[in-house]
Amino acid sequence: MLKSLAAALIAGVATLGVIQAAGADPVTITFRFNDTEQEVRGAIDEFQRENPDIKVDLQRIGWKDARNQFLREAAVGQGPDVVHSAQVWVSEMGDAGALLPLDEYLKKAPPPNGFADFAAQDLAKGKDGHVYGLPWTTDTWAMVYRTDLLKQAGIDKLPTSWDELRGDSSAVYKKTGKAGFGFPAGSSASGAIWFLANFYWWSHDKALIVQKPDGSYAIGVTAEDVADCMKYFKQFMDGGDNPQSNLAASDAHDPSIMQALVTGNQAMGAMPPNTYKEILKAYEDANPGKPVPFESGPFPHPDHTKSSMIGGRMLVINANTKHPDQAWKFVRFMASEQVFAKYYRTQFPAQQSLLKKIDFGAPLKGFAEQFEYARTWGPYASGPVPIGTMWNLTDRAFGTALSGQASPEEAAKDLLREIGKQMASKG
Amino acid sequence: MRDRLFIITMLLPTIVLLLLFYGYPIFDNLHMSFTDLSLLGMRRGGNWVGLANYRELFRSGDFGHILFNTFIWLTATSVILRLLMGLGIALLLNTRALKLLRLASVSRFALLIPWATPPIVAVVIWRFLLERNGAVNTALISLGIVDHPVAFLADMRTVWPSIVTIMLWNTVPLIALSLLSSLQTVPDEYYEAAELDGATPWQKFRFVTLPFLMPAILVLGMMSVFWSFNNFVYVWLATGAGPGTYTNVLATEIYIKAFIDFRLGYSSAIGMVMAVVMGAFGILYLRLVARQQLEETL
Repeated sequence: MLKSLAAALIAGVATLGVIQAAGADPVTITFRFNDTEQEVRGAIDEFQRENPDIKVDLQRIGWKDARNQFLREAAVGQGPDVVHSAQVWVSEMGDAGALLPLDEYLKKAPPPNGFADFAAQDLAKGKDGHVYGLPWTTDTWAMVYRTDLLKQAGIDKLPTSWDELRGDSSAVYKKTGKAGFGFPAGSSASGAIWFLANFYWWSHDKALIVQKPDGSYAIGVTAEDVADCMKYFKQFMDGGDNPQSNLAASDAHDPSIMQALVTGNQAMGAMPPNTYKEILKAYEDANPGKPVPFESGPFPHPDHTKSSMIGGRMLVINANTKHPDQAWKFVRFMASEQVFAKYYRTQFPAQQSLLKKIDFGAPLKGFAEQFEYARTWGPYASGPVPIGTMWNLTDRAFGTALSGQASPEEAAKDLLREIGKQMASKG
Repeated sequence: MRDRLFIITMLLPTIVLLLLFYGYPIFDNLHMSFTDLSLLGMRRGGNWVGLANYRELFRSGDFGHILFNTFIWLTATSVILRLLMGLGIALLLNTRALKLLRLASVSRFALLIPWATPPIVAVVIWRFLLERNGAVNTALISLGIVDHPVAFLADMRTVWPSIVTIMLWNTVPLIALSLLSSLQTVPDEYYEAAELDGATPWQKFRFVTLPFLMPAILVLGMMSVFWSFNNFVYVWLATGAGPGTYTNVLATEIYIKAFIDFRLGYSSAIGMVMAVVMGAFGILYLRLVARQQLEETL
């Protein structure tokens, strides 16, 4: 009798536990995303429908502040569970102890085609060899042209050399009164002229940071190389074909640049594909039914050199998360084919198996072509100087030269001296 | 002796609170300024580097330029113009004509709008106004003053005047309204006596109005110095310290070194230098203003 009573009690308690667990509040994880909400809202909603025991709170922050904000929070045991990160930040954030190593999860519950299917695996690893991020998207920058303005300026083919690009930009300005190649030249720690400067050096078979055969790092450009690059881009400012106001523009998606391309006040731009897609959409919305006067093309380069980067984003998990299993489930879902097929269509997936299935379409032809002439940041990311520091120093040095605050020669020397100092102090 | 003990006991909680609230962050910052602490290495902590951060700061080629920007443009220019414009507006609001036209209340209310606007919103509004196709350029071009849009926040000739303009728009109203309230305390008898003595309007202003306003001008001037010298928002949001490093000031340099270069130790050293300068201003304030107020009270 007593035994039966005890068994009934245990069964009752167990049943209560199950009922309580079933009725328990879902686990809430926070996802911090650095682009627009509409790009991922649908995917998050679907994840929550498929996993009613997990609720995802979406936080938004701009790219400019994303890394610093997360590092500050992670250092004091705070921060979101899942974080959207540039590929080049992952290694240093992992080494700083801010990220959860994913090796165990990649073994236990790998993505459908395994980790080997992902691009930029080298950038996902810390110096300790652990994997700290799951590559999520991949992209490259390319040139974008308003074909109607080129036509008005008498230009019938896209430029293939830096000199031609300069000439065409100037011609557009002189013949149409519109801006030619309008690029962001703002002096901030963002991807303003940093990208263009590097593309210019790479296409001349040089690089700001190189890794020597012995594994050490060095500066791979001379002060003359830097000054030449500054002088090249300064011509656009001095000639008036890149408006002086772009010295205050810090990003490719600066509204003034995007708007100028949409409205036909600017003929050429340089940008990642999601920015280009936004421009195309804005044009189509404003001009329904009209043919789209845009074409994309690779940056100028001789055949054997590269002229853009293979970039992209990763998803990382905060080392302080209290729900690592749920966070990994979410990360794995966000990198799945269904998300890229149905929702996250402004970006290209980082899985090679998915990338092969993409039809780039005519307007994005230039981006597909550019992929063949793109390289990873490699030594820039694994080297001793944080990428953000190099962005800041390079953008500011170019800003001083382009605005006339200093001569290109002085600005170039200052830039290399500062980067050299940083390299020396960080070994 | 017992009285003294009683006073100390009563003051102790306040002193402890002040030490914890203000003293701890200052000493922590001071300690950090002697290390090479990095944002990437906060869990590990920094290594002791002695005065290396201070040496690097004082030897830095940019330091003089940053100091010049902070003292001359951000502080001196903005404070002097703020006081002059505030005084001008206060005098205007105090005129009989404005009262007769029943515009005094409306003007005061209108003046509250820029003051009530948060600095971040003020900068965003002005960025729109000053951009290539913004209202200011459109007006200048349509009036035939310029042929092409002026890059106000990117051209070295216009960038500092533009930042100072934004600061003035946002902060002059407080000065004007404060001076206006002081103006209204000047007894009419003084002006009547001055008129009987044949004083000109300028003489009335110089020998009656100004002496009455001086205490308020002094307090507002010193407070303006504190607000301006420390300010980060206007420069950072308007120009990001650019073009190049042209508008970099001490506050933006702290941000750049701490959160872009990740050098928390070095940026703490800049913070300590700023604190010393602010301390000097504080002593000046105590000597000029607080002591005078204390003497008046006693």
